[in-house]
Amino acid sequence: MRFVELMILAMLVLISLMVAITVSVKVLRTVREAWYKSYYRLIEPALEQYLLTNEPQPELERLRPWQRDRFVSALIVERMALLRGAGREYLMKLADDLGLVGLYLGALHSRRRWKRARAAENLGFFGGPRVVGPIAELLIDEDETVRAVAARALARIGTNEAVRSLAHTLDSPSEITRLRVAENLERIGHPAVGPLKESLTDIASLGTRKLNGPVMAAQVLGNLRAAEARGVLKHAARNAAETDVRAQATLALGKIGDPEDVPALLACSRDEAWPVRAQAANALGMIGEVSSVPRLKEMGSDDAWWVRRNACFALANMGPEGETALLELLHSDDRYARDRAAATMEARGFTRRAVRNLTKPGRRGARAQDTISILIKIGATRYLKDLAENMPEGDNSDALREMLEEPMVATRREEAPPDGATSSASSANGSSPDGDLMEGVPSEGAIEGKQ
Amino acid sequence: MSFEWFVLAVNYGILGYFLLLNSFYLLLYAVSFFEITNHSRREVFSGFAELFTSNYAPPVSVIVPAYNEEATISASVRSFLALQYPLFEVVVVNDGSKDGTIDVLREEFDLSESDQPIRIQLDTQPIKSVYASASERMIVIDKQNGGKADALNVGICAASYPLVCCIDADIILDEDALLRLARPMIESSKVVAVGGIVRVANGCEIEAGRVVKIATPAQSTPNFQIVEYLRAFMAGRTGWAVMNALLIISGAFGMFRRQDFIEAGGYAHDTVGEDMEVVTRIHRNLRERGEDYKVAFVPDPVSWTEVPATLKVLRRQRDRWHRGLMDTLIRHRKMLFNPRYGTVGLLAMPYFFLFEFAGPVIEILGYLALVIGFAFGFLNVQFALAFFIAAVGLGVLLSVASILLEELRLNRYPRWSDILKLTVYGVLENFGYRQLNTIWRAYAIVSFLRKNQSWGAMERQGFDPAKKRAAKKRSQGTA
Repeated sequence: MRFVELMILAMLVLISLMVAITVSVKVLRTVREAWYKSYYRLIEPALEQYLLTNEPQPELERLRPWQRDRFVSALIVERMALLRGAGREYLMKLADDLGLVGLYLGALHSRRRWKRARAAENLGFFGGPRVVGPIAELLIDEDETVRAVAARALARIGTNEAVRSLAHTLDSPSEITRLRVAENLERIGHPAVGPLKESLTDIASLGTRKLNGPVMAAQVLGNLRAAEARGVLKHAARNAAETDVRAQATLALGKIGDPEDVPALLACSRDEAWPVRAQAANALGMIGEVSSVPRLKEMGSDDAWWVRRNACFALANMGPEGETALLELLHSDDRYARDRAAATMEARGFTRRAVRNLTKPGRRGARAQDTISILIKIGATRYLKDLAENMPEGDNSDALREMLEEPMVATRREEAPPDGATSSASSANGSSPDGDLMEGVPSEGAIEGKQ
Repeated sequence: MSFEWFVLAVNYGILGYFLLLNSFYLLLYAVSFFEITNHSRREVFSGFAELFTSNYAPPVSVIVPAYNEEATISASVRSFLALQYPLFEVVVVNDGSKDGTIDVLREEFDLSESDQPIRIQLDTQPIKSVYASASERMIVIDKQNGGKADALNVGICAASYPLVCCIDADIILDEDALLRLARPMIESSKVVAVGGIVRVANGCEIEAGRVVKIATPAQSTPNFQIVEYLRAFMAGRTGWAVMNALLIISGAFGMFRRQDFIEAGGYAHDTVGEDMEVVTRIHRNLRERGEDYKVAFVPDPVSWTEVPATLKVLRRQRDRWHRGLMDTLIRHRKMLFNPRYGTVGLLAMPYFFLFEFAGPVIEILGYLALVIGFAFGFLNVQFALAFFIAAVGLGVLLSVASILLEELRLNRYPRWSDILKLTVYGVLENFGYRQLNTIWRAYAIVSFLRKNQSWGAMERQGFDPAKKRAAKKRSQGTA
């Protein structure tokens, strides 16, 4: 009896306690907000005055350390994110004068991770070059949030030493840290190129160990369009043991877009790993050098879907020569090459343009008729039928309908019918068996611009 | 064995059952409390602004199944297209709607038929047409009717990007919902699926597909559900995710890695609990392959849905949910107590079998045994009080604790009155509403045994003025 009564009492007390805490939290939050507002009303004008005059403000100097920590640092950070030039210098000096830099340098070694993270975040704004070393130590902190904040803080400081520390952390075993570091190196921009080049050198000798750093370094260099890194990237694209490194370095060369790299990319296009070949096709398409058309045409018949797909899209970027190569692919004996070429032509508007030119006199009209004939012959008619239905009435639509209504010439469909797994939309089209659409989908790191 | 002994044994057994159940809930709550506290502190340093402009965030395909959504689809899709994320596409799947859903989409988004090849890697109903938009990053797939699971499967096959986010057409998302949901996947390739909190939008003010003012509704039924959702999502799912044993990612808002999802076989067509089934299957597949993976849960409140406002509709919903749960558990019974499936086999499956599947029957049995025990004079007042503490008192404690967690860590209800109101509903919920739910779920067991596979109509009142206006405009136009 006694036990049950006690239990009921305990339960009631617990429930009441929960309700009381809920209400108290609401009350405390409301009161705290009002209290903080009153402080901000006092401090903000003083800070603005300091920014205008660069003279000590008694209202700021009178504040206690915890008030400086809670209110002044937040206001300084808010302004540092917006200001440039002298204003920033003033605020950094103010933070130092008020002892905030020293305070946060000490907090970097706190046992409480949120305190370390907050200190790194604030020092990233107003710590200046002298805090790079202590913050860089947090790049190997046990807590991933602290590491991410440290990377962000170093990127904000952006000195060479900060960049070098970040670049060294690209090989971190922690995925989130690598990601944050790469993002921040990209934000730093040109000053990051040197250290990134360093992390890519001599990678041929690094064996087959899975390397994160060089992949990320190549990716960042590509995104930064770092022309001065071409040499290192070419070396990595050919000699790195890891497929992902070669693929990223190849893609980076494409992003940089120097036509002098075409021979190196053509060599990459014969790499034994399909992700590298796929990125070589991508890269050649980005550069758009006509001399790569024959090789891209060959790649249109590659065993790997991604290589065929990227090669055809690359050809579509090559002007008339590329277009001619796509037309030639339509005549290929390889059904997959034909289908991919037809799909690319539809996607890039070449087919629509050919239909518009159907009744034009001379070579242009003849070429258009040849194009449409071959598309009909290989069975890529769905898009053409839609065009015939939807385009404005006129000679071209009549000509197209006429061509579509002609008895089908014996097609070259000797292969088995499209994969049963293909959708009705595409199988009706007959143009996109794409039976190997997802074969060995490359890692997200290795392939970019899939779409 | 005498009748008295039998009644007493049942009563004590059920008392133990309630103590075990609520102790488990309390344990989950404690785990969730620490996880949400940690999450909300980490949130301060999240750097979402940076993530929004990051080149390293994998692109996302947002899959929106639509069936007879003519009135609202345009406003919904526009709100999805306005989400903040570096690169994403919207894939709308018109699941053989009988109304003008496809015409509205074609008209509003400048769609034209496309030859985009779609490799159907899952078993689905045939596709009639694929449309692409000239002005927006979206495609629309018009297919024969096959149900929500079928539509989602088609959408996932058509998705161009490695991450797929499955959402209901009528869900309301915060602008940064995709960023928040995708973040665990961006930060770790081990994360194969992420679920997010779904909140109750009834009572909130909504403009242009966004919640602009959060408040509780005037009606009781949705308020009870707010407390339920807070408890289920915050105290329940967060805790399960910490143990990597989360079996449910709401069909209204969840993200998956496309490749893993397709390898698992996509959503099952022959169940009404396809969202739970697919997550359980993903767990099963990956654990059988011995992979190191994680199914995560983001406790950020970023998606909002309209819950049933009447008991009639709520009954249908709960009936369907329970049938879906039972179906999933029976399909994957092999995992029960099987150490090969880790925490899923040893903890989550037994919990769901014992407390969720069989829970309603045991609870009803408990109430009956209590009444019989009293009627025949086998039980005394002390036992009744102990039963009350175990069955109701701990339930009240958990509900109130969930509201405390909401206020302490997430703080999404700005008004005092809302928090007080929810606290009152948290107490009242355990006197009537909970028992009603138990009866509905018990009925669902009968329904399940009768092989009922129906979804049951889900009438919604609608709450987005923009959508209502669009619907009105469209109906006037049709007239």
